[in-house]
Amino acid sequence: MRAGPPVDSREPYLLMATETETAPAPATTDVDHDHDHPDHLEHHFVSSEQQFDSAKLGMWLFLITEVLLFSGMFVAYAVYRQWHPEAFVEASSTLNVTLGTINTVVLLTSSLTVALSIHYIQLDKVKKSIYSLVTTIGLAGGFMVIKYFEYMSKFEHGAFPGGFFDPHGGHYEHLAQVPYAPQFFSIYFVMTGIHGLHVVIGMAVIGWVAFRAWRGAFSSEYYTPIELTGLYWHLVDIVWIFLFPLLYLI
Amino acid sequence: MSDDHHVLPKDTLFKVFGGLIVLTALTVAVAYVPLGPLGVPVAIAIAASKATLVVLFFMALKYDNPVNALTFTIGIIMVVVFITFTMFDTAFRGDLGNVTPQTVQEIEREQEAAQQEMDQINPEDLRVAPADYPDQQGAGGSSAEGGGDESQ
Repeated sequence: MRAGPPVDSREPYLLMATETETAPAPATTDVDHDHDHPDHLEHHFVSSEQQFDSAKLGMWLFLITEVLLFSGMFVAYAVYRQWHPEAFVEASSTLNVTLGTINTVVLLTSSLTVALSIHYIQLDKVKKSIYSLVTTIGLAGGFMVIKYFEYMSKFEHGAFPGGFFDPHGGHYEHLAQVPYAPQFFSIYFVMTGIHGLHVVIGMAVIGWVAFRAWRGAFSSEYYTPIELTGLYWHLVDIVWIFLFPLLYLI
Repeated sequence: MSDDHHVLPKDTLFKVFGGLIVLTALTVAVAYVPLGPLGVPVAIAIAASKATLVVLFFMALKYDNPVNALTFTIGIIMVVVFITFTMFDTAFRGDLGNVTPQTVQEIEREQEAAQQEMDQINPEDLRVAPADYPDQQGAGGSSAEGGGDESQ
């Protein structure tokens, strides 16, 4: 373990692995020590391997908290559905199964592309990795577009969540007579809304990582941010894998 | 040291993707088969197998440090406990919109007492109209019954 102050007052992981210029002078008067370890390796780790492993463990712990976040909503769904099953069946029939299936396939494909980007960066194919990341963002955008159309269709027919529920027109008309139908839409909008928020956040993070990759920050030696972003994106996909049958295919 | 990182071959990734698409098609197909109460468990089982594929291969948990798998498994166990115990409560609460101030035992006792009273009544004491005396010849006279009322 290396004792002493770090070389750079900036966070070391932001340093580019293939920088051709020297790091700017540190804000504090730190002693410059020999760098016989890679730039990305932080000083409290014994090796890159340990750093990567601990980053992954930290990410898995975060993913479990995300799983529990969504499971809170799934429990709400389970309770409400167990109490008013007929209302859920009726309300669910107004959801478009085709669009839901397309969205599922879109997200599964995006999971594939993000896994491919990790595969490519592990083999030092940076360009292909970036293309895969960009494709992932595109697919995620497609998911959000389809979601937009679904939401608009609901709002046009007055199927708002909670107290604003006022269904009219089309095949939403009969919902006005179904007691507790608004409960389904509350669950639907909250769950797909928070999931959609995670998709948008994922798009931003993948975009940032793709940008850094384009600037040459990653290689087969150091690609931890891509790995962690991939893990997050797979979780978003898994949540939708469960959301789709429970909301659309009752 | 990056050699220690297991590189999943592209082939594997595409095969897993193919499996996921097949399972998605299965999910939709099964939804149109009337399975009754089995519907939800089957749907969740298929979704769980899709999630397992994603976790094991796309997230490379199969080839990873076992600590990560342990973390994930314990998390899932917690989710199962969460939903199971919540359902134990909410699914068996009964209908709170249909309560009386009496307890169930009191209601049952009243019903039993009423039933016993009913059993003790002699049907012969309840005879009121001439039609209740079928063995007597009540023919002629005040037969104001309209129509063929012979179903006695």
